[in-house]
Amino acid sequence: MAKTILEVQDLKKHFTHRKGLFSAVKAEQQSIPAVDGVSFYLKENETVGLVGESGCGKTTIGRTILRLEKPTSGKIIFDGKDITTLSTDELRGLRGKMQMIFQDLDAALNPKMRIREILTEAIEVHHRIAEGSTEKRIAELLEMVNLKKSKLSNFPHELSGGEKRRVGIARVLSVGAQFIVADEPTSALDVSIQAQVVNLLRDLQQQLKLSFLFISHDLRVVELMSHKVAVMYLGKVVEMGMAERIARAAHHPYTHILWSSLTEKQSKEVSRKAVSVQAGRWGVFDFERPVSGCRFAPRCPVYEARGRPEVCTDPANEPELREVGDGHRVACHFPL
Amino acid sequence: MKSYTQISGEIGEFSDLPFWKKADRIDLAYVSYGLLVVTLVVLSYLLGAFNLLPFDPQDLDLELMMAGPFTGKHLLGTDFMGRDMLSRLIVGIQAYFLPGLLAIFIALLFGTILGVLAGYRGGRFETGITYFTNLVDSFPRLVLILLVIAAFKPDIWYIMLVVGITNIPAVASLVKGKILFLKQKNFIEADIALGVPTRIIILKHILWHNCRSILIIQATLGMAEAILMETSLSYLGFGVQEPTPSWGNMVQAGSNYFMKGQFWPSTAPALAILFTILGFHLLGDGLNNILEGKRNK
Amino acid sequence: MTAPLLKIEDLRTYFYSKSKQAFIRSVDGVSLEVGKGETLGIVGESGSGKSITAMSVMGLVSSGPGVITGKIGFKSETVQKNLLQDLEDYVTLTRTDGRIMAVQKDQDGWREVSERRMAKIRGKEISMIFQNPKQSMNPFETVGSQIAEAVRLHTDHKEEKAAKEKAIEWLDRVKIDSPRLRYDNYPYGLSGGMCQRAMIAMALSCEPQLLIADEPTTGLDATIQSKIADLLAELKSELGITTVLISHDISIISRLSDTVAVMYGGTVVETGPVKDILSRTAERKHPYTSALLTSIPSAENVKEKGHLQAIEGDVLDTINIPAGCRFYGRCSQVTDKVRERCEQQEPELREISSGHKARCWLYFD
Repeated sequence: MAKTILEVQDLKKHFTHRKGLFSAVKAEQQSIPAVDGVSFYLKENETVGLVGESGCGKTTIGRTILRLEKPTSGKIIFDGKDITTLSTDELRGLRGKMQMIFQDLDAALNPKMRIREILTEAIEVHHRIAEGSTEKRIAELLEMVNLKKSKLSNFPHELSGGEKRRVGIARVLSVGAQFIVADEPTSALDVSIQAQVVNLLRDLQQQLKLSFLFISHDLRVVELMSHKVAVMYLGKVVEMGMAERIARAAHHPYTHILWSSLTEKQSKEVSRKAVSVQAGRWGVFDFERPVSGCRFAPRCPVYEARGRPEVCTDPANEPELREVGDGHRVACHFPL
Repeated sequence: MKSYTQISGEIGEFSDLPFWKKADRIDLAYVSYGLLVVTLVVLSYLLGAFNLLPFDPQDLDLELMMAGPFTGKHLLGTDFMGRDMLSRLIVGIQAYFLPGLLAIFIALLFGTILGVLAGYRGGRFETGITYFTNLVDSFPRLVLILLVIAAFKPDIWYIMLVVGITNIPAVASLVKGKILFLKQKNFIEADIALGVPTRIIILKHILWHNCRSILIIQATLGMAEAILMETSLSYLGFGVQEPTPSWGNMVQAGSNYFMKGQFWPSTAPALAILFTILGFHLLGDGLNNILEGKRNK
Repeated sequence: MTAPLLKIEDLRTYFYSKSKQAFIRSVDGVSLEVGKGETLGIVGESGSGKSITAMSVMGLVSSGPGVITGKIGFKSETVQKNLLQDLEDYVTLTRTDGRIMAVQKDQDGWREVSERRMAKIRGKEISMIFQNPKQSMNPFETVGSQIAEAVRLHTDHKEEKAAKEKAIEWLDRVKIDSPRLRYDNYPYGLSGGMCQRAMIAMALSCEPQLLIADEPTTGLDATIQSKIADLLAELKSELGITTVLISHDISIISRLSDTVAVMYGGTVVETGPVKDILSRTAERKHPYTSALLTSIPSAENVKEKGHLQAIEGDVLDTINIPAGCRFYGRCSQVTDKVRERCEQQEPELREISSGHKARCWLYFD
């Protein structure tokens, strides 16, 4: 049985937003819950995919787990150690084990440093190694991410998108990380390059026994990369389970809409399966946050179809994640 | 007709040209002129410091007063007391060189520290620093200098101290702006995630790699400002006092004879001021365009 | 195929890289046709020149040498002309071995003539939807009044009231909930998908002959994307408007287009009916197109090999264009028979079956 490398318990992250003209003096604050009570765990050499539309808080989760943001409440247990309240200095040691691939291709790359310097620095941050072996390690990393050696003397702006991504991955690997948060690693890339990166990440996972938290809005990539998938809506996980089950046999109406939008976009003859999964009258919704109850209710076709049952908007009765078999959990009063 | 030409005929191979080939010719001209001025200033400072002058700047030659340029051995002529102009101009640099460097040093050092605090830490620091810079900016500099002179004594070091302090906000806001811009690019956050120690992020990644060009540019502009401040105060009689030569008091001394048609003794130092300040400004401007790529964007 | 409404021939739009002192050949000999009432989908990766082609048609390229040569034939009931007519007088090209090595262009003269001509065409005859709807709308004016203004400018509804009614009608038509209320919304008050709908309403309200949609769904959420695609499909069948749809998303192109052009490295490598090109079963295809189709992450593509079939190498950089086929460096279908030709000589776009053209040596034996 693989051991659990990461466990997140009821994680909350609320952003405060200062309001008004005299904000500096008078602390009148508005709180925006970006992540609102999320729990999950990640086993060694496993990938958990996190999907959801923009603004649902998936990136914030990744950043909070790596403690780039301070969690508002909840617990993050990494490798058997509670890291929720560690100080910046204590965290620094852990950074060698947990890393992040940023969505922004340029993120890992100081524009004024050559690739060789960038990699050398990354290698030397956590490990003191003899001078000659840095070169050897760089060559090893380049081999791993399949990057030409001639690129070492280039500046980041001279690289193409795919090459920048490879350097970013090499940098993350150079510290010897075992757990990696990959935040939309393919979204900034061209179609033909995306496949290369997906393949690379899959290969690396097998070779190095990595664990990924894979964040993406691209459902196909997530399905392909992940063992388990968690679907987020407005700061909460609404459904969680094995990737195939989420993709083929979703129980939450939102998941269903998300996946069917993929096939609908493609199919010429608009064939909608069940009437129950028709989007609302116009099919256009804003992210509106309901005052109470299930947060998906205002967009929910099932809620509409069932004649707006009261339980869905009951403030005391927000649906919790419930097991529906095989580790598949869903937060809905009327699962499909 | 605008014309665009592909330089090499080879199919395929194109890579970035080195920066001096990419730069506009006019910027290169600015920078070379600026560097020439800097070299002359530094050289003159050293000549003055080691007393390697054609004449003693205090030596009166009563036979030869108010001589024009190229009179006898006096390359730039003499002033109203028959003192050699060239030597006095060279020694005049002593008046502002080291104090000017002090002003630059103060402005850059504290400006950078405040800028980093405001940009990197943000929050309360930023608010506090903004108030401080607004306070300093809202005080007329000349009034402040006169106050200091009145309180202490008309000394160039005090004046340059004030010039340096009043320049802190400008540097701080530049550094802060640069850091906020870099933060948008996310690589600072990536460094934090990688576990790079904060001092290395700030000193190496932010200041050394990304702020050094704006600091160099600020230094050249700061020098120009220091010279201007010194000369105008010396002209008004608050700066360097006769008989110690300074370009400002030389203009002042010569101006008494200006109306009588003998304009050379004040024109020579005035031209020196003009060309030197122009040099520092053009250097800053040219470097800004080349290193920061302002013109191309 | 019906008579073409838009016929682009050998269009070239270059930019100039000062730091490399070389041309960025963004659009390098593009020829395309769109029949009346049809939808042409242009697929390509970033840097393939698909957006620049659209901008060139609209006369919106403003920096660098810009458009330097080619023909853009536009034939509607009211306008029948080459949009680049007489403009070649403002450009002198110097060629070596058929490649353009130097360009002299009187930018101001060109712009003056082009602007005078395009002012009558933009909006009224051809209108365009951009990728960033929020940035393409005036943030200080309400959505409705922007549409009403377009209506008054380009159609017969000159009166303010009539224009407003028309604008509301359009908002309703693009399925914006409670259009009368939304009329008074500012762009920032609308969500991304809603804003894109408003943008579509604005583009269509001028009743143009040709609609150019540049990445209309990119950057929107998956659920919204499919809704926008639904809307475009519906509008297409209702209005029968001629559309050029530009996207890197093959699924949306294959759903909405009749004909497809695949662009790579500044040129069209393949064009033809959508079923011949974008269906996974069709046999004769340009190697780039087939590689692109198999590299899309989808369950079918993975199951076959347990791995994605990726295209090796990098997207062509349009400064360093090779002498031979632009795709040669990444092509996996090169045979020994054609290798030499692929490397040295660029293939032409030639018909390989009826209506289906490809730029590949494999098919010309």
